[in-house]
Amino acid sequence: MNPEETGLPAQTGRAVLSLASDLGGVAVLAGRLARRLVPPRLDGPELWRNLHRMGVRSLPIVGVTALFTGGIMVIQAGVLIRRFGAEGLLGWGAGFATLREVGPILIALMFSGRVGANNTAELATMTVTEQIDALETLAIDPLSYLILPRVIAMVVMLFVLTVYGDVLALLGAAFMGDALLGVSTATFANGFLETIRVWDMATGLIKSSLFGFVIALSSSHFGLAVTGGAPGVGRAVNASVVASATGIFVCDYVATYLLK
Amino acid sequence: MIELSHVWKRFAAPVLRDVSLRVPEGCLYGLIGPGAAGKSVLLKCLAGLLRPERGSVRVFGGAIEGLDEVSLQAVRNRVGMLFQNNALFDHLTVAENIAFPLRRRGMTDEAEIAARVADRLRAVSLPGFEGRLPGGLSGGQKKRVGVARATVTRAEVVLYDEPAAGLDPVTSQKIFDLLRREQQEAGATVIMVSSDIDRLLTVTDRVGMMLDGALIFDGTTAEAQGSLHPVVKQFVHGEVEGPL
Repeated sequence: MNPEETGLPAQTGRAVLSLASDLGGVAVLAGRLARRLVPPRLDGPELWRNLHRMGVRSLPIVGVTALFTGGIMVIQAGVLIRRFGAEGLLGWGAGFATLREVGPILIALMFSGRVGANNTAELATMTVTEQIDALETLAIDPLSYLILPRVIAMVVMLFVLTVYGDVLALLGAAFMGDALLGVSTATFANGFLETIRVWDMATGLIKSSLFGFVIALSSSHFGLAVTGGAPGVGRAVNASVVASATGIFVCDYVATYLLK
Repeated sequence: MIELSHVWKRFAAPVLRDVSLRVPEGCLYGLIGPGAAGKSVLLKCLAGLLRPERGSVRVFGGAIEGLDEVSLQAVRNRVGMLFQNNALFDHLTVAENIAFPLRRRGMTDEAEIAARVADRLRAVSLPGFEGRLPGGLSGGQKKRVGVARATVTRAEVVLYDEPAAGLDPVTSQKIFDLLRREQQEAGATVIMVSSDIDRLLTVTDRVGMMLDGALIFDGTTAEAQGSLHPVVKQFVHGEVEGPL
């Protein structure tokens, strides 16, 4: 294909080829990482460093997002709750929506913006400044030393942050339910405990693990595949955030269908 | 020790074209040529970072282009490399950067590591810089830290990509002299790419010149300086008039 052609078929062809190249790149990266899991070949100190900076440092932003999300859900649902006198359903509604959908999705998107984008920028910078090559010449496998600890840290910490965020979102919803609708915390808790099943929470956590893989693999792939110096780093971060968000929604659709 | 045989490599266009080269053991080989001639790509092929499409790259007697990752790592353990951009690890201090190859190769004696780091920093005229981060260093200081890291393991083969770029003339000459001294003490085989032709030729045993991906000259330093090949003559003597 002539790279200078600008017609619709040429542009469509280029987009399809680019998508196929990125999907293939992500799949190859996943395969190469899987090979390093048996037997485990990863750098322990790097894993701990990433668990801390990706997880602990995300607590404030995830906490604030979750608290306000819980409150916003109650504000939005308040009109209908009042109209139908369905105060007893507030705990179920907030719990069902938070645990199965809103919690995992919003926290994953926040995580992608904070951690995934940072991961891509860092890896892309290391790539264009030949730091990845330097690791290889020092006989250090970049996938075992750099990438695998990050992938594991992202999957584990997104799971943990989702649990943390779910709890805070429910607390936010309970607080706003009491303050705005006069639904007592006991009523909220009863509505929640009587109707929400363990499977509802498990569904959300399975999704968050999938989202963690999507963010980790796409952010690492775009970081390692960067070309074109500093402008390339910017393009890689942009592509990574878009791909992660798209991947999150596609995975959510499939997971929701399969886990319904 | 190092041998390339009919090596071809291309990205969008060919960057190495039928390159054959033999660097004897213990030789300090200077690789010169204008920008985008394929010098850095050739070094990366020698380090196993790039695989040629055709031809063979032999280091320590064995071809490296077909090696699996484990075998390639064993070769790399015996090779040191300084990159054009220095490739210092941003999140590590100067001392940690220099100590990095030692620790990754199993050295655990912290006193020995600290002594080796201090020795390297003295050698590149940066004593007391142990705790600094690369982000706080000038371009020349980064280059010197890169040299310190490339030489700390006393590798058998060392590849230098522009070891004196961005340095003032005095520091530049000091670095070339240091690298020559190190090479002689360790008996290492060194390939050095540099645009600082005048200083490079004060330390090399042999010189090769690349142009448009091809090796157009290979000979001793004296032969390079006296070459009548119009391109080599113009480049080595920095003449404005000529085919380049």
